[in-house]
Amino acid sequence: MTRFVLKRLVSAIVVMFFVSMITFIVLKAIPGNPAELVLGTEASPQQLALLEESMGLNEPLLVQYLNWIGGLFTGNWGQSYVFGEDVLTLIVQRLPVTFSITIFSMVISIAISLILGILSALHPHGIIDSISRTIVQIASSVPAFWSGMILLIVFASMLNLFPVSGYVSIDRGFLYFINSITLPSICMAIGECGILIRQFRSSMLSALNQDYMIASKVKGLPYWMRVVKYALRSALITPITVIGNQFAKLFGGTVIVENIFALPGIGRLLLTSVERRDIQLLQGIVIFICFMVVLVNFITEVVVMMVNPMIRLGLEGERE
Amino acid sequence: MENNRLVQANGVTVRAGDQALIYNVDFHIDTNEIVGIAGESGSGKSMLTKVILNILPKDCRQTDGEVVVLGQRMNGLTNQAKDKLITSGLGLVPQNTVVYLHPLIKIQSQMIDGYIHRKLGSKKEAIEKASGLLKEVGIDDPKRVLNSYPAQLSGGMRQRVNIAMALMSDPKLLIADEPTTALDCVVQQQVLDLFVQLNQTRHVAIIMISHNLDLLRAYCSRVYVMYAGRIVESGNADAVFNDPKHPYTKALLSLIPGLEVDKTKPLAELPGMVPEKDRDRTSCIFAPRCPKAADACGQTIQPVDDNDRYILCPFADSKPKEVA
Repeated sequence: MTRFVLKRLVSAIVVMFFVSMITFIVLKAIPGNPAELVLGTEASPQQLALLEESMGLNEPLLVQYLNWIGGLFTGNWGQSYVFGEDVLTLIVQRLPVTFSITIFSMVISIAISLILGILSALHPHGIIDSISRTIVQIASSVPAFWSGMILLIVFASMLNLFPVSGYVSIDRGFLYFINSITLPSICMAIGECGILIRQFRSSMLSALNQDYMIASKVKGLPYWMRVVKYALRSALITPITVIGNQFAKLFGGTVIVENIFALPGIGRLLLTSVERRDIQLLQGIVIFICFMVVLVNFITEVVVMMVNPMIRLGLEGERE
Repeated sequence: MENNRLVQANGVTVRAGDQALIYNVDFHIDTNEIVGIAGESGSGKSMLTKVILNILPKDCRQTDGEVVVLGQRMNGLTNQAKDKLITSGLGLVPQNTVVYLHPLIKIQSQMIDGYIHRKLGSKKEAIEKASGLLKEVGIDDPKRVLNSYPAQLSGGMRQRVNIAMALMSDPKLLIADEPTTALDCVVQQQVLDLFVQLNQTRHVAIIMISHNLDLLRAYCSRVYVMYAGRIVESGNADAVFNDPKHPYTKALLSLIPGLEVDKTKPLAELPGMVPEKDRDRTSCIFAPRCPKAADACGQTIQPVDDNDRYILCPFADSKPKEVA
């Protein structure tokens, strides 16, 4: 078990290394350097040279890369010229916003998909199955910017149930906080449901067709116990991986939703940094999002391992 | 004799849609018997046991005939009542040992949950019973096995666990659906000997399904030979194997390869396939593949049925001599 965790940890570190290198190289390859952007077109060559010198832009690329990596570890992520602030501080400030809507939308979509997916697997081609299939079709084909607008028009503007925009921090009252993140979370959850309902349905269906369901029937267990103890247990494992991947994807994909609902999260920060060519900030955000994705995937794998005795005990799975 | 009857099936037909999977099957088994069901793949052997155990796949249903289990007619009972009746007296030993046990649940929990749910005893009693049964089926360290997941056991061990699990409710009848398919020869032998031992010590009757005729010949007192969802011949095992009457049985027996096979020649085979359609025809279903097919085979077949011998062939008679 420890070996498994260590192996995953090493591969996570390797992934981070390559991601950081690619990020660095790509952003270096973009024409124009940070010093020019800071000073603008009016600056004299002397001023430019001075700033380049102080920003370390004259060093060889490898040294610049190592400086940046070293900075990442010591907490010195560089300065954002747009905000005039430390990159790490900027990210940490915006983290709670992105984090809350990601988590909340995950909770919503898992709850809905679990119920609909399982119920439609229990009665394939029944009423619930047909309804949920329609939901899947709609959910996976509607883009977030459109569903976001519709949600805003209906629930915020017409029904006045939720605020149109803005984020209320949790210190100002839990209900206000939830109220402010509900619409964006629903907006993100819609897309997730499309994937997760199908996932839960198919894994539940395959579990229901296994021989152990016959075994549990012949043993005399009642229907609900067969479903809960035998079918559901296997049916929940495959979706865990998908949920992990979705979470990672959501975290990096809040740009659209944060812009529609005017939430001061990492997605908006990312957009600003791209628009204003704030390369230090952009580099920081990209590496941070990558780190989160790798971290979530790592946690997902460990969780899957904990719930699956075949991996936990180092046994080879005979199925799959 | 009727009091000893564990399962009786009369004229049972199972259909998927309009297509008959098994048609007009008569079957019975008494206490303490070992009865074999033989036949090619797809002949409906398993389907027959699925009717008896009420585990038919969703798209199949019993359209005709009746099944009597432990003296109680199953037709007309609710699903729940059927399950209750079946679990009280019947046990299933499966073909596939890999996923019959749930891979994510420890053996102990899987063995005792039915027992506890049916309030046959406390948890402690259930565990004691489970480890006793594991000992009985030849597992030396029941404690370790009870605390294992199925993947930690070998195929032979898993099949022993399956047998022990089926015995948790002290069944009067074990239904073994190709119980040795996934096992190697040595373990096969051990498992089969275990069945005989259980039959002798616990007086549990056994339905043994197999396509292996030698195995049925060695272990069964009576056999049913199935072809395309029909029982084409049945009777005392010695009589059927030593003096087969139905051309299909004869063909099957002649096809068993011995040790002295001429390796330069291809193995003998029965040409053609088991028919899937029109299994409910009244004319002979084996006729298209039968070497002796004649005009009479196209008419409605009157089976020979006396002296515990049943033959579905117009040219057969029950007297122990060859038919021309």
